[in-house]
Amino acid sequence: MENGTLNHGVDTGSTITIKGILSLLMQNIEEQTSKKRVISLGMGDPSAYSCFHTTHVAQEAVVDALQSDKFNGYAPTVGLPQTRRAIAEYLSRDLPYKLSSDDVFITSGCTQAIDVSLAMLAHPGANILLPRPGFPIYELCAGFRHLEVRYIDLLPDKGWEVDLDAVDVLADQNTVALVVINPGNPCGNVYSFEHLKKIAETAKKNKILIIADEVYGHLAFGKNPFVPMGVFGSEVPVLTLGSLSKRWIVPGWRLGWFVTSDPSGMYREPKTVERIKKYFDILGGPATFIQAAVPRILEQTDEAFFKKTINLLEHASDILCDTIKEIPCITCPLKPEGSMAIMVKLNISLLEDISDDIDFCFKLAKEESVVILPGTAVGLKNWVRITFAVDSSFLEEGLRRTKSFCQRHAKQLLRY
Amino acid sequence: MEENGEKRWNFWGMGKLNPQSKTSVRGLLMKIWGSVNKDDPRPLLPLGHGDPSPFPCFRTTPVAEDAVVDSLRSAKFNSYPPTSGLQPARSAIADYLSRDLPYTLSPDDVFLTIGCIQAIEITLRALARPGANILLPRPCFPFYDSYASSINLEVRYFDLNPEKGWEVDIESVEALTDENTVAMVIINPGNPCGSVYTHRHLKEIAETARKLGILVVTDEVYHHLTFGPNPFVPMGVFGSIVPVITLGSISKRWLVPGWRLGWLVISDPNGILRKSGIVECITDCLNMTSDPPTFIQGAVPQILEKTGEDFFSKTIDILREVAHICYEKIQEIPCITCPNKPEGSMFVMAKLNLSLLEDINDDTDFCLKLAKEESVVVLPGVAVGMKNWLRITFAVEPSVLEDGFGRMKAFYERHAKKQ
Repeated sequence: MENGTLNHGVDTGSTITIKGILSLLMQNIEEQTSKKRVISLGMGDPSAYSCFHTTHVAQEAVVDALQSDKFNGYAPTVGLPQTRRAIAEYLSRDLPYKLSSDDVFITSGCTQAIDVSLAMLAHPGANILLPRPGFPIYELCAGFRHLEVRYIDLLPDKGWEVDLDAVDVLADQNTVALVVINPGNPCGNVYSFEHLKKIAETAKKNKILIIADEVYGHLAFGKNPFVPMGVFGSEVPVLTLGSLSKRWIVPGWRLGWFVTSDPSGMYREPKTVERIKKYFDILGGPATFIQAAVPRILEQTDEAFFKKTINLLEHASDILCDTIKEIPCITCPLKPEGSMAIMVKLNISLLEDISDDIDFCFKLAKEESVVILPGTAVGLKNWVRITFAVDSSFLEEGLRRTKSFCQRHAKQLLRY
Repeated sequence: MEENGEKRWNFWGMGKLNPQSKTSVRGLLMKIWGSVNKDDPRPLLPLGHGDPSPFPCFRTTPVAEDAVVDSLRSAKFNSYPPTSGLQPARSAIADYLSRDLPYTLSPDDVFLTIGCIQAIEITLRALARPGANILLPRPCFPFYDSYASSINLEVRYFDLNPEKGWEVDIESVEALTDENTVAMVIINPGNPCGSVYTHRHLKEIAETARKLGILVVTDEVYHHLTFGPNPFVPMGVFGSIVPVITLGSISKRWLVPGWRLGWLVISDPNGILRKSGIVECITDCLNMTSDPPTFIQGAVPQILEKTGEDFFSKTIDILREVAHICYEKIQEIPCITCPNKPEGSMFVMAKLNLSLLEDINDDTDFCLKLAKEESVVVLPGVAVGMKNWLRITFAVEPSVLEDGFGRMKAFYERHAKKQ
């Protein structure tokens, strides 16, 4: 199929949204009136599964804030002061310096934090370096802000590390930032301290700042612990984006943050702070009572809750890797170390009548009612993204059906 | 570690997102709050902004709070919401709005937004094709201008006539429209004017827009908050005459602006907006932006269906009472005149007669000095496009309003020109 034409209804000529393509895949299932239950391994949202639920502390903190009747009004556009303070303290626990509450701006989910960072950096002729594979919201927002996008490959043979040589080649005087997603979506990697340091040094050398998308912050269960990019904030200014969504399993609450992790104070310049505040004046922020619950949520959530989530994710990722090994046409370059998804490669040549990743996913949906995301949606054709933050029995069945799909479509080998 | 002057970073100090010349309500109010005398033992009286929720007489209904608590505790609404909103919420809003329309809205016509603010944002983004312009009323809620300028959408202002109940000056609309004009915006019930348009006038607006080939964006965030002779008539009633985009939220009628639950609704029974591709633009914008919290969306059906009339009447009664106090009190202060008794929303526009004042230069000066000397905050009209007018909020506790006007009168007497 050529670029720009429709492939199963997907317009590969423009930026595909994850939600968009997943809903096309789901529609495909409905049209076939499948008798099998639908298994979606497509979305980074485990909240639908009973084994993944938020903590009672968080829920009751929000109920109390709502029932206090003190938070039905507008919050300041930059966020409630107690919320900003609480997030500054929370993030500072892992940094060698203290963030001030003035460094923290409350956003409606990490999605809005992405919008803010790109809006703040965009100017005529500017370009931004995005990871490939990556998260398509960056492309969409960049397009809207007329920011040129340049791609930096993540290297599958090197644990999906950032190709730093490419940064040196592609960065020029109009480059404003490098986006780093760690823990990684869609790749499931967690960068080592050394690699993050090298990224910081490369950014500094090229005079660009780093947008550190840490929405999966602390969701690390492999050999590398989670290290926030802000640790290198004195080397290079870092804009840290995050939210409650993943660690607390409440993406529907839309509570995120945009933080200037910049102890050398570039982002504390009055003019810059003014600009950021003025931009927030035209944003519709998160619900006031949810903001008001944040200090309690951050202070009182038990370590046990975090450990439980990590264990579930680790267990699921083990199942995933073990099963993938049994499927010849799929290879997994890196056992997941964090986040909720991994990228696996399709060997199309081993399959009979499958033309590419999009074709694979649509046929899989139609025949087996299993939904996974075609890698084209995140920038890597003929790869697929599988999310494992689901109930383990779901995962097992989904992978079983995927295996049987692959066997059914395997090319018949010549016998000799 | 520290950056010296020579080190240039590529992202340094630019960005066309610099609405420095635009006055925002918040910005100006902040400035005025800043001039309040901190040693004044009297309480600060806020008659400048549109959020009555701090006042006990303006408390939301337990029905709404319970609905949200139930929704949250069910643990069924912690996931990402669908882009256009949860289906039951879309359905409930369609039903709710259809009660006042001669046709039935479909849930597909309803898009959930983070308050009415995001509904405005998405609408302006969807309309902003290169070279387009939109028509805004003067005076206007300043967010339209701020946001339009941040996306390089040209705005043109038509007048609202203070002598005729702040009705739209139809001739000025016609004069401003050209082939690049895509829409006109009306705010009804009116912010900042407190006006409520008649059926006749809304029809006239619809027919004019149709003749000019532009759509009507109607900001109905204050829907049903009317207490004068004219009932609230949604612009969507004229949706068959001209395509209408209706913006609204639960913020004002339920007194919960902090909940951030709004909507953008296509009130267009002839399907023109869908055919024109605007609906697709709207969904594209929604695809890359955030949403209202899922559990609040989940509570919407219960909120809309179960809230009793008695809650609504209670709010209207209080607003009627305070609007009346406000209008009466303004008449006792010679340097302020109010051409129209407010009939809806939470605000009134009053004209300043500077010639009766000794040492006040303009509306901003008046407000800064009033705040400093009397700890009363009102909004200078320049923020809404009418210099030397004032926007006064009456949606406060009646005693606060009485007190505020008492102090304003004292301020006038102190600054009155000696005869």
